[in-house]
Amino acid sequence: MQMRKRVRLLTVSFLVATAMLAGCTSNSGQTPPTNGPAPEHAEQQEVPVKAELNAELTVALEAEATSLDPWNSTDSNTLHILSTMFEGLLTRNENGEVVPVLATDYQLNADATTLTFHLRKGILFHDGTVFDANVVKKNLDYVRNKENGMARASFFGFIKEVTVVDPYTITVTANVPNSAMVAYMAHPSASFKSQKELQKKIDDPKYNMDRNPVGTGPYQFHEWKNGQFVKVAAFDDYWDKEKPAKLAAILFKPVMEASTRVNMLKAGEVDIVTSLPTLDARMIGEDANLDVYSGPSLNMIYVGMNTKLDKYKDKRVRQAMNYAINKEQLISQVADGYGTAADSPLSPLVKGYAKQQSYLYNADKAKQLLTEAGYPDGFAATLWTRNSTEFVAIAENIKMQLQAVGIKVEVQAYESGTLFEMLDAGEGTDLYIGRWGAGTAEADWGMRPNFASDRIPPNYNNSGFYQNQQVDQLLNEALKATDNSMAQQKYAEAQKVIMDEAPWIFLYVPDVVIAKRKNVVDVGVTLDTVRLHAAYKQ
Amino acid sequence: MARYIIGRVLGMIPILMIISILSFLFVHLTPGDPIRIMYGAEMDMATYEKVKESLGFHDPLYVQYGRYLQQILTGDFGVSYKSKTNVSDEIGKRFLYTLGLTFAAMFWALIIGLVVGIYSAAKRKSIWDRLGIISTTTIISIPEFWFGLILMQIFAVQLGWFPTSGSGTFVHLLLPSITLGFGVSAIIARFTRSSVLEVLQEDFVRTAKAKGQRESVIIWTHVLRNALIAVITMTGLQFGFLLGGAVVVEQVFAWPGLGSYLIDSVLARDYPAMQALILLFSVQFLIVNLLVDISYSLVNPQIRYE
Repeated sequence: MQMRKRVRLLTVSFLVATAMLAGCTSNSGQTPPTNGPAPEHAEQQEVPVKAELNAELTVALEAEATSLDPWNSTDSNTLHILSTMFEGLLTRNENGEVVPVLATDYQLNADATTLTFHLRKGILFHDGTVFDANVVKKNLDYVRNKENGMARASFFGFIKEVTVVDPYTITVTANVPNSAMVAYMAHPSASFKSQKELQKKIDDPKYNMDRNPVGTGPYQFHEWKNGQFVKVAAFDDYWDKEKPAKLAAILFKPVMEASTRVNMLKAGEVDIVTSLPTLDARMIGEDANLDVYSGPSLNMIYVGMNTKLDKYKDKRVRQAMNYAINKEQLISQVADGYGTAADSPLSPLVKGYAKQQSYLYNADKAKQLLTEAGYPDGFAATLWTRNSTEFVAIAENIKMQLQAVGIKVEVQAYESGTLFEMLDAGEGTDLYIGRWGAGTAEADWGMRPNFASDRIPPNYNNSGFYQNQQVDQLLNEALKATDNSMAQQKYAEAQKVIMDEAPWIFLYVPDVVIAKRKNVVDVGVTLDTVRLHAAYKQ
Repeated sequence: MARYIIGRVLGMIPILMIISILSFLFVHLTPGDPIRIMYGAEMDMATYEKVKESLGFHDPLYVQYGRYLQQILTGDFGVSYKSKTNVSDEIGKRFLYTLGLTFAAMFWALIIGLVVGIYSAAKRKSIWDRLGIISTTTIISIPEFWFGLILMQIFAVQLGWFPTSGSGTFVHLLLPSITLGFGVSAIIARFTRSSVLEVLQEDFVRTAKAKGQRESVIIWTHVLRNALIAVITMTGLQFGFLLGGAVVVEQVFAWPGLGSYLIDSVLARDYPAMQALILLFSVQFLIVNLLVDISYSLVNPQIRYE
């Protein structure tokens, strides 16, 4: 009797639990898209007849968005979502050229101190408010004020003043001549949000802008369910009538487990997958229903070394270690060939990149240099790495290759947060594997944080304590150069010096690998970000 | 009984105090800086200091603890550094998912575990018993991670019967709960078997057999009731663990429960979320243990709490 009662109780509680579960999730499956593109829109636009109307697109991302505020998120993963909702005055097209978006044109004055924009008229934010010069000023003044604690505040540190010339003309004045200003204003963090929204934050500092994105893009924010999805829906009053949203909605789902992302794609549950494991990329590329996109990213993977340590003080030792690594072998073994051997401290996508003489694998030369530097039998070293599979694989490969020239490496893997703190503390650093993403896609951000003298610990990210006055000077001169070609020349020279000085073992530029279903078309990839503005389903 | 329960609940207070101190220290002394992890190199020192100050990191640890204690006593678990939303809201939403997954997993675990365990014991040394022992040992050794991906590969990708991952409908629950429940079922099966075998050697079982009682009746009415005590203890313990979020399974199936929240929070060093979760898991364990103790007296009325 009692037993039976117990079983019944168990069944009941099971049902209750599942009912609760169903209760709390049922609205997620049924929320209708509020703003499907009106059919007449689609007809006007001559969307190819094959286009599926009112389609929803699902994208599996490698992690949850950090913040839907373009000023407060710094990871490339979040940018996939933000780029559907937010726009800046300028952007970069697929060839990396700067093109106007919310501006109609822009002009940098002769001494590179002011940048004047003429703004496009008739642009509405998702909340119906109007975009004009006052909005631009208010936005830029808010984000660059360090009191407001925005993650991107320093990014806008070059601005001295923002002046409204007339309702549709605005001038940005820099503190010192700065030729990179145009590139900065083309960065996704230089996006604009509605003045009404911003005012809420100014009136109440506790107001959560991270969760209330209101921009001018073709898609507007619809819902964010933690750990489940961020949903954006087509915005009917988008200003560019030639390029309206062609999808009813886009769902971005965080799926941390890479194998699960692959399975979702194979099972047809998602249309696009970012950060596809390279191991699966070839197999997926052979599937008739799927496409794989791959191309160089903005990232650089390197081994940093503590240049304060005696063993790394001699340039020949640092160069020897560069010669000792067969980058092609490394790329094929740890990234299944999806990468390009480094021939500069910068990724080739970065503006200002200049190809240098790279360190072609030559074990004999490495041994010879080590002997000349007084280490004929090599030395012992400790290599710190993050504990993710990808990084540990790189570390083990480096260990084997350095061993071949007599350098005995011990690999120590740490959780990434712990490793950052160890590097910031700057004590006991020997060798470490790093990955640097030049998020702004221009040379200053690619080099200054890594090689400038004032970026050594506890500042960021010159964890190897590399100090070279010539590099500092070249970087500063390039920034102040009013002439663009002069700036590029200085950057090229800085790359040459750094490459020769070899404060890192320059490894490779990993590829961005993205897979999509074949029936999803007009998906772009610009500087590591998936662009879905024009995407539609067939 | 009521007095017993009240006593136990009051006894939880000092335990929770100690846990709150330990979890606070554990969280704050773990290497890794939440601001650095969140914003990386994009943030300059001036803004960094500003954010640090606004989070109260400049105060000595005991001041921070005092503030934290004051907060939780008023039921406020703080605002997540990462999502900038209320930690208690977030936990509330995710708790339902974890509860659902836990109940569903325990459902499979108990059905399979009890049936296999009782049958193996009743048919001791038969081929079925041996098979049971081998398969439960195997199942216990299978990593959830691998098993989950295999189930996903077969039933979601190849056959297309279930969605691969995510949440939203009842069918989303099936694969993760089976993955999770399978391992627990083996533990319960082994426990039930040994516990039933032990009771089978008792004198009253021999007496029942001697008076000609049918074996099924002996097992279901006499043996099980006595064997259940150990099984309940074990089940309660497993239940407590599962309520702490099935970290691996939630990760594989993108299930938005407490386990994936814990991983996210630890990786981001989201102190308020980490502290609240540790505290919650402790409370859950204490409650489950209390329920287990109370249920003893329901199964066996000879056990009384005064």
